[in-house]
Amino acid sequence: MAVQMLEVHDLHVFRGATHVLKGISLDVREGEMAALIGANGAGKSTTLQTLSGLLRPRSGTAVFRGTSGPVDLTRAAPERIVGEGLVQSPEGRQIFQSLSVAENLAMGAYLRTDRNEVRRTLERVHDLFPILKERASAAGGTLSGGEQMMLAIGRALLAQPRLLLLDEPSLGLAPQMIERIFDVIATLKQQGTTILLVEQNAAMALDIADRAYVLENGVITLSGTGPELAGNDRVRRAYLGMAQ
Amino acid sequence: MSQYVFQQIINGLALGSLYALVAIGFSMIYGIVRLINFAHGDLVMIGAFTTLALVGYGVPWPLILMFVLLVGALAGMTIEATVFRPMRGAQQVTGFIATLAVSIVIQNTGLMILSGQPRNFLFPAFMRQRVQIGTVSASLTDLTIIGLTVVLIALLLVIVYRTRLGTAMRATADNLAAARLMGIAVNRTILTAFAIGSALAAAAGLLWGGKFGQIDPLLGFAPGLKAFIACVIGGVGSIGGAMLGGYLLGLAEVLFVGLLPPQFAGYRDVFVFTLLIVILLLKPSGLFVRHVEERA
Ligand SMILES: Nc1ncnc2c1ncn2[C@@H]1O[C@H](COP(=O)(O)OP(=O)(O)OP(=O)(O)O)[C@@H](O)[C@H]1O
Ligand SMILES: [Mg+2]
Repeated sequence: MAVQMLEVHDLHVFRGATHVLKGISLDVREGEMAALIGANGAGKSTTLQTLSGLLRPRSGTAVFRGTSGPVDLTRAAPERIVGEGLVQSPEGRQIFQSLSVAENLAMGAYLRTDRNEVRRTLERVHDLFPILKERASAAGGTLSGGEQMMLAIGRALLAQPRLLLLDEPSLGLAPQMIERIFDVIATLKQQGTTILLVEQNAAMALDIADRAYVLENGVITLSGTGPELAGNDRVRRAYLGMAQ
Repeated sequence: MSQYVFQQIINGLALGSLYALVAIGFSMIYGIVRLINFAHGDLVMIGAFTTLALVGYGVPWPLILMFVLLVGALAGMTIEATVFRPMRGAQQVTGFIATLAVSIVIQNTGLMILSGQPRNFLFPAFMRQRVQIGTVSASLTDLTIIGLTVVLIALLLVIVYRTRLGTAMRATADNLAAARLMGIAVNRTILTAFAIGSALAAAAGLLWGGKFGQIDPLLGFAPGLKAFIACVIGGVGSIGGAMLGGYLLGLAEVLFVGLLPPQFAGYRDVFVFTLLIVILLLKPSGLFVRHVEERA
């Protein structure tokens, strides 16, 4: 049986008075790419923010198999979670606008102490996205939307993720750029990074994911392999824009 | 250049240095927690009285400076950890009121312990001599204020722009949630910003006493207000803007008084605030902030 990288059970999360996640359970296995799809406001970003320790659940469990053993994500501080290898590239990119591209990437490696290894990761990121090397001293805020997305992914990679959470990497990008980003995501997976991908662009997500979950109004209503869900009538109608 | 004009410029630069030292910390704190910290000026008072006490014990001046920086840093960190941190995430107005409350508590504690009686504050006698530079001369006190401020600001810029901790501080100020997602312990970077900003304000207190010769527990009000104005002039949240705003304000104040007929001297704040209003009308985001267009 595959090793579980992430196990979430019956997670309830409130935002203010709103009950946003109503008992979701999911798991991500080592080496796979899992996808979480759903409409606007379903609670996808809330899920990822909870896993990163930015939001605390009312109840339920979330355990991540970190570098030094199991990590209780419902209690651990965000910096501990990152240090254990669970790294998120947040929705809307959220790069540091006033910091240079190089400084943005350095902040990704904030918790790492081995300079040689960091340099190696940086070279790998520069190979994936040469533009980040060319524009190393430009302020993050002056990059185009696509370049900012590359920077956001590059920054996350510098944290050396064992499990990479990607929140809508296709958001606001031109089709060509989306393809490029998804190519990179596929490459990362091949190189052994475990990925949990959140997308509204369900067609692309189901195309590259091993398994996927459908989140509706804070409840997981469907799960299965990518092809299974892509063939499911309900998914085809609601998320893939196909007539029955 | 005539001695008179030279004297006015040195005087303005010295006053501007004091404003800049206070304004930089004010701006750093606003930049990182979006808090208009009205207690910031009271760190100047704490620095001044710490100096006075240490002088009384005969501590050598270089050590006094170190100590004042340390006391300022500790006081700033204490205020942030005990009052502001628990209010993080509350509405902005809540924080604003809290800073006013802290200011009043500090001032009244000062009044209780020290009484409102102003105390004489003396730099060593040699500091009061004048230095001849060609055909003109300047007071050693003013030159010391200017020189020490340059050193402190240079040190600050190195920390903020050349160290890992400084970069993390700027990252936290830029995007707090993203900073947390990078594993930056933001409470620590925020604490650092308070420590550095408050240390600079306390150092300004040491110099303030030396320049004006008298200190009292309420002295923090003026530098606090002027620092706020300097920040608004320069662009709130920008370190460079606060620095330049401080110098501009100091020079403007002195030049208004020095170059206008004597009967206007008592009204210098009228000119200062008129200047402020004009600047705000012409350039609401501040003089020294290039507005960076943000992409969605
Ligand atoms: N900061 C917040 N405070 C209160 N409620 C929030 C906040 N952020 C989101 N919500 C609410 O939580 C619910 C889930 O939001 P969430 O951002 O997790 O959805 P999502 O699935 O990521 O949507 P999208 O596809 O638009 O990104 C929504 O009803 C939203 O209105
Ligand atoms: Mg979202």
